[in-house]
Amino acid sequence: MLEVVDLTVAYGPVMALHGVSLTVADSSITTVLGANGAGKTTLLRTISGLVRPRSGSVRLDGRDITRLAPEEIARLGVAHVPQGQAVLAELTVDENLRLGGLWRRDPNGQRRALAEAYELFPPLASRRHLAAFSLSGGERQMLIIGRALVARSQVLLLDEPSLGLARLVLVQIMARIKTLVAERGLTVLLIEQNAKSALSVADQAMVLHLGKVVAQGAAHQLLTEEGLRHAYLGF
Amino acid sequence: MSRFFVLTLNGLTQGAIYAAMALALVLIWRATKVINFAQGAMAMFTTYLALFAIDHGAPYWLGFVIALLSGLLLGAFVERVIVRPVESAPPLNVVILTLGLLLFFEAIAPMAFGGQIRSFPPAFSIVGLHLGGSQVAFSPFDAFTLGSVLAVMILLLVLFQKTNLGLRMRASAFNPEVSRLLGIRVGRMLTLGWALASLVGALAGVLIAPTFLLYPTFMDQVLVYGFTGAVLGGLDSAMGAVIGGLLMGFALSYVGGYFGSDLETVGALVILIAVLMVRPRGLFSLQRLREV
Repeated sequence: MLEVVDLTVAYGPVMALHGVSLTVADSSITTVLGANGAGKTTLLRTISGLVRPRSGSVRLDGRDITRLAPEEIARLGVAHVPQGQAVLAELTVDENLRLGGLWRRDPNGQRRALAEAYELFPPLASRRHLAAFSLSGGERQMLIIGRALVARSQVLLLDEPSLGLARLVLVQIMARIKTLVAERGLTVLLIEQNAKSALSVADQAMVLHLGKVVAQGAAHQLLTEEGLRHAYLGF
Repeated sequence: MSRFFVLTLNGLTQGAIYAAMALALVLIWRATKVINFAQGAMAMFTTYLALFAIDHGAPYWLGFVIALLSGLLLGAFVERVIVRPVESAPPLNVVILTLGLLLFFEAIAPMAFGGQIRSFPPAFSIVGLHLGGSQVAFSPFDAFTLGSVLAVMILLLVLFQKTNLGLRMRASAFNPEVSRLLGIRVGRMLTLGWALASLVGALAGVLIAPTFLLYPTFMDQVLVYGFTGAVLGGLDSAMGAVIGGLLMGFALSYVGGYFGSDLETVGALVILIAVLMVRPRGLFSLQRLREV
């Protein structure tokens, strides 16, 4: 279980998050919605340790991880899939994928997870020995999601996974993630621009506006709240 | 034996040493985007440590091992204790810090070991080999120099390309933030990178000391030529650094041989400017590829 308690983050004088609290239960998907600049990416970066909060805390299964270094948080089983250029462009596709699970020191599990990733994303399999900078935008997105899956983490933080992906591939990825949620108890925190599609896969949802929580609840409930949809979600 | 052949052999041996120094600079540049101007002075210091041991009765090989090991430790120490605290400062701060380190090592070496010029024993004879009745300008020690630089380069290549540790080190160099998100302890990788770089630098030190003689600033020239070689190779390519270093060795040997050794330094400068005018990113930079 991932808990965020009363989190406040500031970049100099600019408040990015203001007293945000959130609980993501095991084996569930929670989506964070809001316009650009609402603080969604800051929330993920604070959970994974890249940003130090001014106050508040982040807990993983009851353990306070707020002040841990990003690499130690990753080693506790929190995989953060950042937005955009997160492939290691100079390394090959295979090396990128392998890096996901290296910290586990479990060569057999690693081999299985790699095979699964290649099965899920056939375009990666045919390019496994090419440098990642030769990939298209969609293939890069597949690569960073595949890399997070190879880590076999307990918590997955996804920052706009749909970016640059074809609709069909996105549906495939979300189906795969839902399976992992159901079968392996994966806990997912998902950021999406497309509120409608995010709400359709998520169990819980939270809407951020200028760093504050303006709505929180079951995803299907938020879908039906007309006023909220018009004001913040744009559909 | 033709003069050209002699100069080529001489250039090959010298070039191997410049290549080692260039490689040391590139290893640190790739990991931290810092040119370690203290690399030569650190190698000078570890060479003095080796000579100190040999003076006190240690066999040559123990001195050799002491130079390499102390290089490894000195590199790790400098990264952890001196460079780490200014890691997040502007890059120029770190550059000035390494210049300060250069002065520091060159100032304490005469205090610790005496300032007079010393000779350093070679591992093998520096007298040219006899081949087919005539003497060639290639000694057993030259062969040892080439062989040990080659061995270190092959070991580094295997480490970086074939092991998980090397994969982690490369990832940390290319993108520290993403690497940390993947659970890589980037700080340790940086320390290890500095340690390996100074080991390579220390090797260059003990290999060149028998021909250059040992004094507190004896590595300055090697640093300049190694740096030029690294820039020729594109700074971010290990293979480029090795080739750049070798090219420097050949070029300087020809310049020294045909135009007089006073012109060597000028020659290095001319080569640097000429190459940078034609290929501003160096001969083997990766950046060009990435932009496509």
